[in-house]
Amino acid sequence: MIAFIRRNKFLVISVVLLIIMTFIDISLTYTALENTKDQLIDMLLIVPPIFLLIGLFDVWVNRETVIRLMGQSSGLKGMALAFFLGAFSAGPTIAAFPLAMVMLKKGARYSNVLFFLMVWSSLKLPIVFFQVSQLGFSFAMLINVIMLIVFIGAALISEKFYTKEELQTFEKKAEELS
Amino acid sequence: MSIETIIIYGLAIGLAIVSAVVDLDKTKKGIKKGTKSFLKLMPVLIPLFLFVGILLTVVTPSFISSLLGEESGLLGVFLGLSVGSITFMPPFVAFPLGKELLESGGAYPQVAGFLVTLMSVGIVYFAAETKFFSKKSAIIRNSASLIGAIIVVGVVAVIYG
Repeated sequence: MIAFIRRNKFLVISVVLLIIMTFIDISLTYTALENTKDQLIDMLLIVPPIFLLIGLFDVWVNRETVIRLMGQSSGLKGMALAFFLGAFSAGPTIAAFPLAMVMLKKGARYSNVLFFLMVWSSLKLPIVFFQVSQLGFSFAMLINVIMLIVFIGAALISEKFYTKEELQTFEKKAEELS
Repeated sequence: MSIETIIIYGLAIGLAIVSAVVDLDKTKKGIKKGTKSFLKLMPVLIPLFLFVGILLTVVTPSFISSLLGEESGLLGVFLGLSVGSITFMPPFVAFPLGKELLESGGAYPQVAGFLVTLMSVGIVYFAAETKFFSKKSAIIRNSASLIGAIIVVGVVAVIYG
């Protein structure tokens, strides 16, 4: 029982919240379930092409190529590639997780994968264009340039927080999950 | 269907067609692999959506604009960063909301902090991110984004304040 709760924290918290909401006002519960349905539909719409891409990536791109382009000694080239992959993308951050995982599995360097995830989360080009159209060029660009600098810094120092063994477990974990 | 969805479908289907023309067997194998990891990962993701659904019931656009008014000050900055970090919202909802907030008198730093954390900090994703990578990795990515957001708020406050 306790193990089940620990493994399904989000599910348990959500159900408890739903029960509380039902006591306060049942219409809140309906709205919440309605929102969940919308979220799920959005997600199910975006997910099939992501997994198609992952599958294709897995069979076409071999390990050696990934190691050469984004691996341990890929340097600036690896980071630049991570940037472009993140920027020329579309979809919510959660869709990037499985893609990032396949990169790790194929031997990409952790800091590059982290950089890819961070760029994907806020500097995707389609979103940047939209952001400029809504917020104006200077406000949007100010935000994006600062975030890019912070992301580069974070990627560069990220591996300092890990031991060599910890860094290797990423690849194993990715192997198990895919 | 949003532009994002169309782009990603176009890309995936286009590449799948090219792949199938070059090597049909390999393509089939790829599709099978993709389906397999999809089935493996969905149980991790689905409970998240229930949680997001509940969250969005409480955190509505009018709730957010009540937090980020012109006179909201430092508390508004803090609330903007917190709500942005916790909530998840598609960009095609978030940026028009940001524009509306600014036009209706919302303060620039507060709105900037809210939008940046909304995009880059994902407390809701934390469980999933931990499962995919590790707790440490999730902490590093989210803290880096939060630090970035705080710097953005500072700079925007200086320039637009």
